[in-house]
Amino acid sequence: MIESTKQAGFTGAEFDQFLGSRDEPDWLLRRRREAWDRFEQLPWPSRRDEEWIRTDIRLFKLDRFSLPLGSEFPGEPGDALLSEGVELAGQSVSLNSQCSHRVLSESLESQGVLFGSISQLVQDHDELVRELLSRCQSHSESDRFTALNDACWSGGHLLYVPRGVAIEEPIHLHSVLSDGGVDLAQTMIVLEEGASATVLAEMNSQGEGEAGLHCGSLEMMLGAGANLRYVNLQNWSDATWHFARHNARLGQDASLQWTSAAMGSRLSKVNQHVMLDGKGANCQVNGVLFTEGKQHLSYHTLQHHTAPGCRSDFLYKSALQDRSRTVWRGMIKVDPAGQQTDGYQRNDNLLLSDQARADSIPGLEIEADDVRCTHGSTTSQVDEELIFYANCRGLARGEAVRLIVSGFFQQIFDRITVPSVRDALAEAIARRVREFE
Amino acid sequence: MSDFTRVASTSDLPDPGTMLVELEDRIVVLVHVDGQYYCLDDVCTHDGGPLADGSLEGCELICPRHGARFDVKTGEPLSMPATEATGVHEVRVDGEELFVRIVET
Repeated sequence: MIESTKQAGFTGAEFDQFLGSRDEPDWLLRRRREAWDRFEQLPWPSRRDEEWIRTDIRLFKLDRFSLPLGSEFPGEPGDALLSEGVELAGQSVSLNSQCSHRVLSESLESQGVLFGSISQLVQDHDELVRELLSRCQSHSESDRFTALNDACWSGGHLLYVPRGVAIEEPIHLHSVLSDGGVDLAQTMIVLEEGASATVLAEMNSQGEGEAGLHCGSLEMMLGAGANLRYVNLQNWSDATWHFARHNARLGQDASLQWTSAAMGSRLSKVNQHVMLDGKGANCQVNGVLFTEGKQHLSYHTLQHHTAPGCRSDFLYKSALQDRSRTVWRGMIKVDPAGQQTDGYQRNDNLLLSDQARADSIPGLEIEADDVRCTHGSTTSQVDEELIFYANCRGLARGEAVRLIVSGFFQQIFDRITVPSVRDALAEAIARRVREFE
Repeated sequence: MSDFTRVASTSDLPDPGTMLVELEDRIVVLVHVDGQYYCLDDVCTHDGGPLADGSLEGCELICPRHGARFDVKTGEPLSMPATEATGVHEVRVDGEELFVRIVET
């Protein structure tokens, strides 16, 4: 059983104690205090806000959780899905916001790759970490959750790949929550010009009982010609509150393939923003959502084209069981400078129960006059004719449904270029698909 | 089925009037109209938004956003854009105390 040192509530006094427990430079502590001031001034998002109108957080009580205090955590993370059978170049593990384990191949260390928790790396690379944090897209004014993460982040992972360095084997990032635990991770992945890497990130819980909290952020910054494959599997327990802001910024001719799978949590609210900031940048996003029970997953995506000749392609697929609900709200935004943009967004939903609900709201905001931007959305139930067809060939209803759901997601699997990820996601989904009436 | 839980006193809720209550991991609306008490999920089945801020006209609770009307006795929708019933729960009055039992559907 994992336990961590806690003090009730996210109070000012507790925040002071939290800062006192951090061995961090003054500039970082100052940055945290400024964010805490914003956190205290901002109200919680209300259901009158368009972004939150479909996501009810009135039952979320921050004071039932505590800031992570104490030293690095020595616990065991448990099994990981994405890294099973995969030869890794490095691995970083955090439990309840505390870094517990970190390895990186010696050859990468010698090439200048930095990897580990930000808290650790700031000790030896103060100036670089400061510069990287300043390059992050600042959204602290956006909402109270962002300010909370800016002020109180703990744990998380930093991968810095210098110019021209190619990491052949995947890097694995593993975040774990115990029952009632808190994860306030801040993760940064920075690829300088011409660098390349594959990163497999996953989140899971060790228990199914008490409510947990993840309030996290992810920043990916790709220099000119950099190439990143990033996979994220959110597999928290169904008692976990999940609030996250994921940002990526791509330089000239940079390429990002981002696969995001979410199956866990009681309620998720994720903002996923990709800024195509250099001419010729290319981003492909593959999203898989699978919900059951009373889960509520809300994804808000933004494809922001600020430079000419960029391409973005977002495909999100959701399958919903029981009384679960998804909200997907996507936007392609093209600035006046984004001529010759090729933007696409699509959201497909498969309802596996009469009481599941999927809200799909694609959008375009185009300020350039020479672009191709399209979007689409579909929502349907399993086709009874397909089930009849399968029944005629000797398959039971449950088997037929599993096949149809697998087929529904196949379009995503076909786009994933990391075989172990394809297998892990297919297995995770197959475990969850049940027979239904 | 869950047990009845005390949620308020009768003096907390004027007639007519509504009151928001957190109960068993959900938010419900207590309604007092014509001397009777009712309880509904705080969910408009049109857009999933809250109902509690809506106005009460007789036994009809009106969604504040798009005007869908719900029968507070049964949860049934009485006008567009809602087409499905919202959940209703059992209310018991014991002296001056109000008790609610959540009904899972």
